[in-house]
Amino acid sequence: MTRIHKQESSLIESRFMWASILVLAVISGLLFRLWYVQIYRGDYYKDVSERNRVRRIEIPAPRGIIYDRHGEVVLGNSPFFDLVFIPQYVQDRDTTFKILARLLHVAPSRFEGRLEMAQGQPKFLPITLKRNMTQHEVSVIEANKIFLPGIEVRVSPRRDYGPDVPPHLIGYLREIDPKAMDDLNQQNPENPYLLGDLVGKQGIEFRWEEYLRGRRGYRLIQVDAFGRQSESFEENGWQYPSVGAVPGSDLELTIDKELQKAAKDAFAGKNGAVVVLNPQNGEILAALSEPGFDPRAMQTGLSGEDWRQLMENPFKPLLDKTTGGEFPPGSVYKPVIAMAALEEHVIDTNKTYHCPGYFTLGNRRFYCHERRGHGTVNLLTAMMKSCDVFFYQVGVELGVDRIARYAKAFGLGQSLNTKLNMERPGLIPTSAWKMLVHRFPWVAGDTPNVSIGQGYNLMTPMQMASLYASIANGGKVLRPYLVNRVTNHVGETVFEHQPEMIKKLTEVSPETFQIVRNTLMAVVMDPKGTGKNANVPGATVAGKTGSVQVVSLKKNRNQADVSMNWKEHAMFAAFSPVENAEIAVAIVSQNDTVGGGGRSAAPVAGKIIAAYWRLKREKEALAATNKDSLPLDKKPEAEAHIHENKAKTF
Amino acid sequence: MRTKRKHSDGVFLLPEGDLKKPSSPQVTMLCLLFVGLLGIGLINLYSASVGAGFFWAQTRNLIVTLSSFLLFGWIISIKSVAAYTYWFVALICLLLMIVLFSGRIAGGSQRWISLGPIGFQPSEFAKLATALLMARFFSSNRQDSPYRLRDLLPLLAVLAIIFSLIFAQPDFGTAGMCILIAICQFAFIRIDLRSIGVVLLALPFVAAVLWNTLLMPYQKLRVLNLLNPNLDPQNTGYHALQSLIAVGSGGLFGKGFMQGTQAHLRFLPERHTDFIFSVFSEEHGFWGSVLVFTAFGLLTYIALDIARHCKDTFTGLLAIGVGALLFLEFSINIAMVMGIFPVVGIPLPFFSFGSSAMLTVCVSMGLLITINRNNSGVRKS
Repeated sequence: MTRIHKQESSLIESRFMWASILVLAVISGLLFRLWYVQIYRGDYYKDVSERNRVRRIEIPAPRGIIYDRHGEVVLGNSPFFDLVFIPQYVQDRDTTFKILARLLHVAPSRFEGRLEMAQGQPKFLPITLKRNMTQHEVSVIEANKIFLPGIEVRVSPRRDYGPDVPPHLIGYLREIDPKAMDDLNQQNPENPYLLGDLVGKQGIEFRWEEYLRGRRGYRLIQVDAFGRQSESFEENGWQYPSVGAVPGSDLELTIDKELQKAAKDAFAGKNGAVVVLNPQNGEILAALSEPGFDPRAMQTGLSGEDWRQLMENPFKPLLDKTTGGEFPPGSVYKPVIAMAALEEHVIDTNKTYHCPGYFTLGNRRFYCHERRGHGTVNLLTAMMKSCDVFFYQVGVELGVDRIARYAKAFGLGQSLNTKLNMERPGLIPTSAWKMLVHRFPWVAGDTPNVSIGQGYNLMTPMQMASLYASIANGGKVLRPYLVNRVTNHVGETVFEHQPEMIKKLTEVSPETFQIVRNTLMAVVMDPKGTGKNANVPGATVAGKTGSVQVVSLKKNRNQADVSMNWKEHAMFAAFSPVENAEIAVAIVSQNDTVGGGGRSAAPVAGKIIAAYWRLKREKEALAATNKDSLPLDKKPEAEAHIHENKAKTF
Repeated sequence: MRTKRKHSDGVFLLPEGDLKKPSSPQVTMLCLLFVGLLGIGLINLYSASVGAGFFWAQTRNLIVTLSSFLLFGWIISIKSVAAYTYWFVALICLLLMIVLFSGRIAGGSQRWISLGPIGFQPSEFAKLATALLMARFFSSNRQDSPYRLRDLLPLLAVLAIIFSLIFAQPDFGTAGMCILIAICQFAFIRIDLRSIGVVLLALPFVAAVLWNTLLMPYQKLRVLNLLNPNLDPQNTGYHALQSLIAVGSGGLFGKGFMQGTQAHLRFLPERHTDFIFSVFSEEHGFWGSVLVFTAFGLLTYIALDIARHCKDTFTGLLAIGVGALLFLEFSINIAMVMGIFPVVGIPLPFFSFGSSAMLTVCVSMGLLITINRNNSGVRKS
C-alpha cells in the first residue's frame, strides 16, 4: 500500500512540477512578448500612437493676386470646393464610392484611380477626389454626409480665370509632380510642398512661384478614434499650436489690362504675337500670343485627346511666341540697313537709286515686291514704299558683316533675357556664322535677302518691339520687364524692378536716329506710305510694314508652317509719338489670310495705338475731375495699400 | 462522502504521516496579493474610465465583492461548499438557459440577465461552477483504477451542457475557458490512456465541425486576425492593433498615470473590460507590467502550493481549478492584449470592470484562503 502510495505521490508531485514549469514558461513567454512590444519596438508604437491622436489640418494659403499697372485685378482667387477622402476614417470604401458615384453621377472607377495615385501616403492625409464642385454637388454631399464617413468637403482658394487672362503671360497651375516635389523640398525645407499642391507652370505663375505661393498654415488638433476633437487633454489652458496661413505676395505688373484687351480684340482671328513696350523704360504694356489655351483646362488636366490636339496644332498654342517664336523680320528690318548705311556713309538722305522692279547681281535677279518698279527712290521714298531694290543695293554695298554689326548693336541675335517664358535669340547671319553652321562660305547672292530681312534672318516679336523702342528712344537698349513690384501680405514691398539698360548704342548717332524716325513717320502718316492703315488721328505714329514670304524660304528655320500654309506673314512695328515715344508696338501675324503687312498688320497696330491714346486721355480726364484722389496712372504709394480699393481678394 | 476515511481520500493518496507542514504565511500572502491587485486594478480603472462611470460602479460593488471575499475566506466552511456544489451547478445551468432566452444583449452577444438595477453574467460564475463540479465529481466518485471514458460520461455530459449553453450566447471565450479549467483539473487525475487517445483522435474532427458550423464569421476573423492584426485594421483587428499600439507606446516607464492617450481618446473601445491592461501598460510601462506579471505568477504559485498540500480530493482539485481560473484568465487576457492570442472576451482578474467577473475572482480568492486554512489544521465542522 505504501509503495503504491509512494508511486502515486511521486506521480502527483511530478505533475505539480510540470504544472509549475508550464506556468513559468507561459509567464516567461508573456514577459518576452511584453519586452518585444514595449522595449524593442517601443519607439515605433510610440510614434504610431502619436500619429493616432494628433491630426494636422492644413490651412491652404491663397496665392498672391496679380494686378495690372493701374491696380486692376488680372488674376485673383475665389473659393473652390473640393471633395476629399480621408482613408483613416473610411470604413467601407466600396460602399462609400458607390454612394458617391450615385450622388455625383460619375463612375466609381474615377475615385479608385485617385486612390492609387496616393498609395504611399499616411492614412490621415486627405486625398482629393473631385475638384471644383458645383454648389449643387456640395449640397448633395453635405446632405448625405451621414452615409459618407471619411468624406469631406474642403474649401480652398483657387485661381479664378476670367475670359481675358493672357494664358502665356500669366501661365497656369498644375499639380506638382512627385519627383520634382522632392527636389524642390530639398532646396526649400522650411516651406515644403505637399502632394496635390498646385504649382505654376509657364509665365508669371512659374517665374514668380516663390512669391506667389505663400505659406500654408496648419492647426494641430487632438482627435479620438472618431476623428472628433477631444477637449479633455488641455492642462492649464495649454493648447496645441496653430499657425495661420500666409497669403502669397501680390504682383503688380507693367501690363495695362485695358490695353491688353484692346490688343486682343484688334488681333482677333489672327495667329502670331503682339508686343507693346514702353520705349522709355522697357515696361511691357501688353503681350499676346495666339492661338492660346485655356489655363483652367490645363489645371484640371486635359484628356489625352485634348492634349494631342494642342501638341499637333501647327500654330503651337502652347508656345509663347512673343519671345519663343522666331520669324524672319522682312521689311521691318529695313531701318537697320538704313542706319548702317547712313553711319557707314554708304548713303545719305539724298542718295538715290533706280528701281526697275528688280535688281541684278551677277547672273541672278532679285525682284522688288513692286514688279513694275518704284522708279527713282531716295531713303525716304524707299522706306515709305518699302522698295526692295533700294535696300538690295545698299545691303550689297554694306556687306553682311557690317549689317550684322549694327544689328547686334541693337541687341539682336541674342536673347533679351526677359526671364518670362522660353526665349529664342533670333539669328543675325554673318559670314563666319555661315561657315560654321553651313560649312559653306558666304556668297554675294545671300546678301540681298538679308537686306530685306529675309534669308537667314530671324527675330522674335519682342526683339522687334525692342528694336523700334531703341530707335524711338535714341539708342537705349532696355531690358523688357513685366513685374513692377511685389508686395507681401502686409503691404511691404519685397521687390521693385529697376529699369535696366542692356546697352547704350554708340554705333548710331542721334542725327541718324532722327533721320530714321522721320522716314518711319512718313511710312505711316504719308497717304502714300505702306503703313497708312496705322495712322491714328490726333497722334503721331512712326512705323514699318513687312510681308514675309513663306514659300520661297527653304533654308529658313521656320519650317513648320511651310508645308501647311503658303500665305505670307504680315508684320508691322511702330512707335508713338514720333518724338519721346511712349509706346512701341510689334505685330506678327502668321500666315495671314487677310493680306500683307500694310493691309493686315498695320490696322492692328493702329487700333492698339489708338486705344492707348484713348485710355490715356480718359484717365487724364478722370484725374482732372477728381483732384483729391491719386491719379490713376501713377503707382499708388505704399500707405494707400494696393489692395484697399480693389475687390475680389481672398 | 458517505464513508469515513482515516486519512486523505481520493486522488491525493497522501498518508497522514507524509503531510508536509503547510506554512500559514500563505494566507498573509494571499491577502496581500488580494488587496494589492485589487487596489491597483481599481486605480487603473479610474484612469481607464475617464468620461465614463465604470470606476464608481466598481467601487460601489466593493461592498459586495469584499464581503464575499471575507465570507468565503473565513466564514463558509469548505464542507458546505462541497455539499451544495451540485445545487450550484444546477442553478448556473438554469440561469444560463434563462440568459439564452431572455437575456440582455450587449456587445453583440446575449450574456446578461438584469434583475432590476442589477445585471450579472451567469457565464462568469459558470467557470467557478466548472471547477467546483470537477472537484466534487472526483471526490464523490473515487476509484483506484484510472478513469475510463464511460466512467466519466456523466461528468462530460454536464460539462458539454455548460459549454454549449455558454457557447450559444455566443461566448466562445468563456466557454473555452470552462473547458480549459476542466482540462487543467483533468491533468491531475489518472485517466486511462486509451480514453485519452480516443479523445485526441476525435478532436480534429470536432474542431472542424465546430469551425464550419458553430463558429460565427466574426469569431473566425478573430482567429485569423491573430496571425495578422493588420488584416483589417478598421474592423476586427482594430482592437488588437490599437491595444498593441497602446502597450508598445508605454515604453519602459509608461506615459504616467492618467496620461495614456490611446485609451483616453477612445482608440480602445473596450478599454474598461477586455483591454484594461492596455491602459495600465501604456501608463505604467514595462516596469509596471512586470510588477503585475509577478503578482499573478506569485498568485498562481501559491494556488499550486496550496493544492499540493491538500489532504482530500475536493479541496485539492478545487484549488487547482481556482488557480487555473485565475492564471488562465490572466495569461489569455494578457496574450490577447499583446496581440498573440485571438480576441476573446476574457476579463483580467482584478482589473476588468464587471461585477460578475469581480465577484467570481473574490470568491475564488476566498476559497483559496479557506482551503489553505483547512490544510493547516484550522478546521471547522
